[in-house]
Amino acid sequence: MSTALATRIAEEYAAASSELPVRVVSAARRELAVKALNAQGLPVTRDENWKYANLRALERVRFAPPSVQPGGTASATPLSAAALPAPIAGYERHTYVDGVFSAELSSAARADVAESAQTRERAHSGDARFALLNDAFADDTARIRASAGALACVELLFVASSEAARASSYPRLDVKVSAGARLNLIERHVSVASDANFVNSVADIELASGACLTHFRVQQLGARATWIDTLNATVEADGSYQQHLVHLGALAARSTYQVRLAGARSAARLHALAAADQHQTHDAYALIEHAAPQTLSEQVFRGIAAGRARVAFNGKVTVCAGAAGTDSRQSLRGLLAGPEAEIDVRPQLEIHTDDVRCSHGATAGKLDDSVLFYLLSRGLDPDTAQQLLKWAFLADVVAKIDIPDLKRSIERALAGRIDVAADLKELL
Amino acid sequence: MSALLVIDNLKVAVGDKPVLNGVNLAVPLGEVHAIMGPNGSGKSTLAHVLAGRPGYTLTGGSVIFDGRDLLSLAPEERARAGVFLGFQYPVEIPGVNNVYLLKAAFNAVRKHRGLPEVDAFEFLGLVREKMKFMRMDESFLGRAVNEGFSGGEKKRNEILQMLILEPKLAILDETDSGLDIDALKIVAQGVNSVRGPERSILLVTHYQRMLDYIVPDCVHVLVNGRIAKSGDRTLALELERRGYEWVSEEAA
Repeated sequence: MSTALATRIAEEYAAASSELPVRVVSAARRELAVKALNAQGLPVTRDENWKYANLRALERVRFAPPSVQPGGTASATPLSAAALPAPIAGYERHTYVDGVFSAELSSAARADVAESAQTRERAHSGDARFALLNDAFADDTARIRASAGALACVELLFVASSEAARASSYPRLDVKVSAGARLNLIERHVSVASDANFVNSVADIELASGACLTHFRVQQLGARATWIDTLNATVEADGSYQQHLVHLGALAARSTYQVRLAGARSAARLHALAAADQHQTHDAYALIEHAAPQTLSEQVFRGIAAGRARVAFNGKVTVCAGAAGTDSRQSLRGLLAGPEAEIDVRPQLEIHTDDVRCSHGATAGKLDDSVLFYLLSRGLDPDTAQQLLKWAFLADVVAKIDIPDLKRSIERALAGRIDVAADLKELL
Repeated sequence: MSALLVIDNLKVAVGDKPVLNGVNLAVPLGEVHAIMGPNGSGKSTLAHVLAGRPGYTLTGGSVIFDGRDLLSLAPEERARAGVFLGFQYPVEIPGVNNVYLLKAAFNAVRKHRGLPEVDAFEFLGLVREKMKFMRMDESFLGRAVNEGFSGGEKKRNEILQMLILEPKLAILDETDSGLDIDALKIVAQGVNSVRGPERSILLVTHYQRMLDYIVPDCVHVLVNGRIAKSGDRTLALELERRGYEWVSEEAA
């Protein structure tokens, strides 16, 4: 990070600090975050785990959120529900505009945020530099608590409406799933009013013993937006955390996913897909740490890069000493769909115990010419054949999104991205 | 009447290496011709060149199919004009459903012929009927193209596609390879069912075994990229008995 950038963050923080709500992040923690940022700096592409990220927008970003700036939110006219994605049947919707809860655009009231001031403020683990930036400026928290009983179904819709040059937004998720509880959580990020937002999101997730969380994350921001996301989760004994990550939008998107399997027999499954075109960058770093015996992890990634896009997935699995009986699977595949596109998939494995079962595969390549020829020899035109194969490439990851409304909306968005012709529409 | 397929002095190279060195062959409409030959004689190259597979360099000659210059057509145009290649190694396409591919192929051909598309219900009825004929399991309908199929299932699937697409010229590249005798009989039954005055079939095979079940009108022996000898079905039996060497010697 350039000194100028560090100075600007500190200055913007100093100007806004008196108005940033302490019920979201205490003043002491904010100060600490700004100090730590000054010392560590934000990541740069020279950093090993950030070399594929596109962080160029940072130089032009105004970091303070709209709520602490004169004039408030950027959009002159209030947002209407009609401008938002259609609701998902069976899910209560909590909408956040530029990071702040909007009761008018939500279908349910939310839990009292004030409570989180009293809860323990957990330190971020792993690579958390962008989380520190969120600590400094966050002006609201989406706090989700699921306790044992019926399956809870919640959709968090984060709407970015501010132009990055004027203000940034800081979605902040604080999710705790109690022992034996089950939660289905949809998290969507969309742009309204401006397509050039800067969104810096943090998710802190805890699964108690036997808890089960299925987390659907869909990034569909506007064409000039930058999205940076830091997610940390811990899973206790017999807990199961499944995440479906879908990158469709934004000019530059980066996800950092760090999950610790802390309890015996806990499981983490990440099914990620990215479809990038033109000058988009979709970059993800995933780390799963097996810290207890009999734990299971799975990483499946399918990414397509067309135009001059870059898609990167760096998936790391660490098996700690004592994590005997670990079962870890990784299947990372990238598809180059343009002569100027770039794919970087990288599996990493670090094992400190003997009794493990790990299967890992990573490939990056173009569409197979012999498969294309097979389709042409059956009379399909080259465009249709290519679209069909791109579609097929993503099919197994899309099929696992088992909420019909959400799956349909993702399929439609994907169809737009890979230009599915009319005669392929029957697939949808 | 002129032949459906006329290959005239066809010369093809892969890179700098000549593979076909002047193939002459005419297949009249309604006839079944077998192309036999030792390994590396150019049989599969000929089949692929006719279907339009990229990667071959045409260095001479011509191919007229149904009165048209076949080599100037793109692979998909050849398919729509009625050329079908049954692959020796059918590819697996995970994520693409069998029925979806069949229907897309079927409608592409119909559209070319100016016929209306067939609705899903009617089409499924047609597929079921042909599957029954090929003794294929119902579960095939929900599976991805050739994914996890045995060698025999893949070959049966090729013939199923041929039955549904009803080509004018079916080129079957080593369709008999890797088949046990029961599967071979089913495949042969499928091929025989489409024999007729409106269609020609080119069987590319290394062994005469399949010709016991699909009796050809004519047998050609390809050696070093040329047709070295042609004859009736007894030629295949002679090859079975004597091998290929004498043909090469005779040709030299």
